Amino acid sequence: MATEQRSTLRHRLFAFLVAGIGGTAAAAASFAMMVYETANPNTIPTIAAGEPIDTGRWIITFHGARIGSAPPTGTKPPEPKNFLMVEFNLDNRSAATSNVFSTLFAIDPPIADLPAPAFYLARDKWIASGVHPRMPEGMIAAWEWPATRPLPRDLRLVVGSQIYKRRDNLYGASGWFDRDPVAAVNLPVTADAIGSAQ
Amino acid sequence: MKAGFNGAAAVILAAAILYAMQRTTPLYSDIISPVPVAGEQGERIDTRAFALGVGDVHLARIVKTERFGRTRTYTTSGVWVLLEAAAEASRESLTLTSAEWRGPSGVRYTLSQRFSTMPGMLPAERLEPGLPKPVLMAFEVPESELAGGTLLVAPSAFTPLGEEVQVAITQLALGNIRSAVTIRQTGGPMPWVLGAE
Amino acid sequence: MGLGGGVMAKAISQSERRRYWMSLAGLAIALPVAVLVHSWESIAAWRAVNEHDPVMVGREESESYAGAEWRLTTLSRLPSGSAEQVVVLAEFEARIEEPNLLTEGLCAVVLTDAEGRRWQPAFLIEPIVRKMHPEAADKPRCGGLAFRNAGKGGTASMAETFVVPATANGLALSVTVPSARPRYLLFR
Repeated sequence: MATEQRSTLRHRLFAFLVAGIGGTAAAAASFAMMVYETANPNTIPTIAAGEPIDTGRWIITFHGARIGSAPPTGTKPPEPKNFLMVEFNLDNRSAATSNVFSTLFAIDPPIADLPAPAFYLARDKWIASGVHPRMPEGMIAAWEWPATRPLPRDLRLVVGSQIYKRRDNLYGASGWFDRDPVAAVNLPVTADAIGSAQ
Repeated sequence: MKAGFNGAAAVILAAAILYAMQRTTPLYSDIISPVPVAGEQGERIDTRAFALGVGDVHLARIVKTERFGRTRTYTTSGVWVLLEAAAEASRESLTLTSAEWRGPSGVRYTLSQRFSTMPGMLPAERLEPGLPKPVLMAFEVPESELAGGTLLVAPSAFTPLGEEVQVAITQLALGNIRSAVTIRQTGGPMPWVLGAE
Repeated sequence: MGLGGGVMAKAISQSERRRYWMSLAGLAIALPVAVLVHSWESIAAWRAVNEHDPVMVGREESESYAGAEWRLTTLSRLPSGSAEQVVVLAEFEARIEEPNLLTEGLCAVVLTDAEGRRWQPAFLIEPIVRKMHPEAADKPRCGGLAFRNAGKGGTASMAETFVVPATANGLALSVTVPSARPRYLLFR
């Protein structure tokens, strides 16, 4: 009876010891990783204009940025306004037509009072709908630049990425999921005809 | 020793079974995917909510639209596919807002929205029970995805377990891709007239 | 010791076995009850939004529904320019007693026929209506605006048009106000 009790006690002690060592090791590893990541921040590469960037779902190639007084449609607004336009090429790598490119890239650092850009199809000079797979399109993103803000001389864009999951963790459904930014682009901003809002 | 071996074998077997079950579970997207109603070009296909029949299919490099005396030109890096069809609601008025061209590789091309305001375009037509209506669909598709394509039409792209018509497109004049096709607005019961160049 | 232990084990196993079967039988009852309890709200909500309780109204009759006194004034077929289809003009009015019940949400108007087919109103007033019944073409559609303009005690006159096949027969107009669901008006 006494020997049995002692053996269960030893078993328990052993289990506690193993769990304790495991937990401590996990905590130490996580702390070490955190320290390492803070010491070596994950810098995203800066890609030159004209170079394709693989973002998973899309391959995007930036061509340039310019300021104009009219949106890509060419119709000047009744009151003078300035538009910041970024020209790029977009290739849909997924298996279906998609219009989810509005959040693909963003101005870095973010500008608080800047409304979201409108996207135009370069061949139509009209608002773009979906971009079809295996049919790369020239596109223009146009921001209406607030009159109160000085016009930018150069522009830094951060390009996000998405991965395809055959089974997502919540429903087991297939879909594209946002991931960390993969690249940054610096574009000089040319001014073709600056509106009188300046 | 033997008991330990048996125990390990049981654990491995259980893991294998669980892994197989996990791999073969249908995707959620498959479980809630639309119910297909298959048919062919040239025949009337009936679902509980609507009926659709696809007639002529035209291929073109450029589409021009003529409306109110104005001509607009739409180019594409692929080929324009224009499908002339007739659709009718079965029990209740409805609009068919989802149409896709599924190429032989399985890649899906959604209805082009570039001249979606032309009269007679499928998503703009309200269908009524008992009144078949002519409808027009336009797709932009790369040349390699034309032959063996299937048209998929449903009332909405996001209805779980809704019915979806799948029309196999059998008559496609692949050797006769027109340089341009013009869609003219007529204002009559047939809302458009196609002219080829 | 050995014998006593055997009897004891048998006694325990018997009572345990009874408990086991009782639990299993209990499960057979508890499971359907749990399913029913969980889905009861959904079933009730589904029944509440589904129109399944018609308030029949004959021609030239008026009926109280959703805080108003409703009457169908016109349900006529007009030519559409094609032999296969006709335009149906429905004019109806509501004398408002309780505006609060009416103005929340949209009212749904559907034309039904003897086969149970359902037509929703046309987006735009058909040109033939403007030509033959210009006063009806200017009437508002069924909705909050018509009721608000009439006010309490006033009468809201409304009109809707439908495009239906010329062969449709047994036409009836169904009007649903969200606050009165699942009841709906059916003008025969």
